[in-house]
Amino acid sequence: MSEILAQKKDLFEQDAGSAQNKIDSDTDHQADIFDLDGGAKFESTPDFQLEMESATDLESSVAEPIPQIEFFLPETNPEQPEDSDQLELDGMPKPVHWVGVDGLEQPARHQHARTLLESLEAQSIQIPYQCREGYCGSCRTQLIDGEVAYLEEPMAWINEGEILPCCCVPKGDIKIKVQS
Amino acid sequence: MSYKTFNRNQFETFHQPMFFGENVNVSRYDTQKYKIFEQLIEKQLSFFWRPEEVDLSTDRKDFQQLPEHEKHIFLSNLKYQTLLDSVQGRSPNVALLPIVSLPEVETWIETWAFSETIHSRSYTHIIRNIIPDPGQVFDDIIENEHIVQRAVSVTEYYDDLIQYASLYNTHGEGRHEVDGKVYDVNIRDLKKKLYLTIVSVNVLEAIRFYVSFACSFAFAERTKMEGNAKIIKLIARDEALHLTGTQHMMNLFAQGKDDPEMAEVAKECREEAIDIFITAAEQEKEWAEYLFKDGSMIGMNKDILAQYVEYITNQRMQAVGFEPAFATKQNPLPWMNAWLVSDNVQVAPQEAEISSYLVGAIDSEVDTDDLGGFEL
Repeated sequence: MSEILAQKKDLFEQDAGSAQNKIDSDTDHQADIFDLDGGAKFESTPDFQLEMESATDLESSVAEPIPQIEFFLPETNPEQPEDSDQLELDGMPKPVHWVGVDGLEQPARHQHARTLLESLEAQSIQIPYQCREGYCGSCRTQLIDGEVAYLEEPMAWINEGEILPCCCVPKGDIKIKVQS
Repeated sequence: MSYKTFNRNQFETFHQPMFFGENVNVSRYDTQKYKIFEQLIEKQLSFFWRPEEVDLSTDRKDFQQLPEHEKHIFLSNLKYQTLLDSVQGRSPNVALLPIVSLPEVETWIETWAFSETIHSRSYTHIIRNIIPDPGQVFDDIIENEHIVQRAVSVTEYYDDLIQYASLYNTHGEGRHEVDGKVYDVNIRDLKKKLYLTIVSVNVLEAIRFYVSFACSFAFAERTKMEGNAKIIKLIARDEALHLTGTQHMMNLFAQGKDDPEMAEVAKECREEAIDIFITAAEQEKEWAEYLFKDGSMIGMNKDILAQYVEYITNQRMQAVGFEPAFATKQNPLPWMNAWLVSDNVQVAPQEAEISSYLVGAIDSEVDTDDLGGFEL
């Protein structure tokens, strides 16, 4: 065992010595970048290549999603769905309901989104939320005009004239006032 | 007039008010006066979880690498959370069960308090995993003056109600002398104490807890103590349900359909109730000062936390029909919403790192015999 080790050690030292000689003799030659068997030699990699690598590293770390990205809903715009699994009635597009928001000139539209909250978020109208299931009441919003339908019965307390956008859809055109 | 474990009086079950009617006899849920409490029970049961589901081995490493002042923030916050859940794990039962009159409300209170005991167990799980001597942390909760101060303010209304309700249950209304002290017990006054207790419980669960959650999530926003944040996420999901419960009680009181006298009490106590909210907010700000006394951390400091206290207090006051008390309108911690979404709480065992699930899958025993057939 020790004999084999000793032999290997000798071989290694020879290799290292010859490689060092090569680098010392002609570092500028293109041929020297590769070993005889075609493998790239680490020692002779030009500096600029290293810089490029570090540059791409930087880029990829910027592009990498921040760890909490999964929490920011919705990831896709629910108001502009691609192919949906849902059967569309022939020749009948989903109706558009306009959602007037107090203090905004342009009304938001509700057509494809699953809930009113999703469609408002897709149009950059921020409403505080927590559970998104109708039990915490964080998204409580005033309904000024129109009617909404609940997809699931809301558990949080709602006063007269208030709605929970996280679990309802407009029945027609509506007007709301987002809590400040 | 004394408490009956099984009330044999003949009475119309569904005509009872939530509190101070007949004692409950049959726990029946076939029809309910307020089906919201039944829904809350169902939801709470569907949320069931165990602290051991969450792996905290990386938290131990994270904790050791935290600078001293951040260790102080983390541990003090955890102590405060432990205190709050110790109170909530028993007080709803002790204070509210002897005076409740509807079966669904009674069961909701029991289910609610039970889930708080899970929270308490999870703090032990966290502390046991990150600190070699958990006793130090627990002992400090009753020794540390800052935390003791907190304890007084979260329990004073409870204790007041418990004392008078027990006198009412043993001696009935009237003037009673106990150990040389005279107590005036009347039902109107008891209802007032009940109302204020429910307000202070709402403040505890809807404001105080959320301030502590903000600190826990602030660590996780920097990818530190993420196992802890995972547990806090589960706790926050439960607390959102509990605060809905107390908001419903307060609003039902205020409407007066449940008990007309309670509506008068709610009106009478309005100023006092608002004061409970504001006082709690001020106390939370003082607490923030103590937390960050040795320095702040990235993404969170005393001022941001104080702003969050004001923001969340406003939100909670509006929910129960009070005018917001503070000027802060914007949420200074927008990332909090994302941490509080219940959708993201994982439940599948292979994802949630349930220890029993993983331990069974890996054979970690290695013997020299296992390498017997191995040759170089």
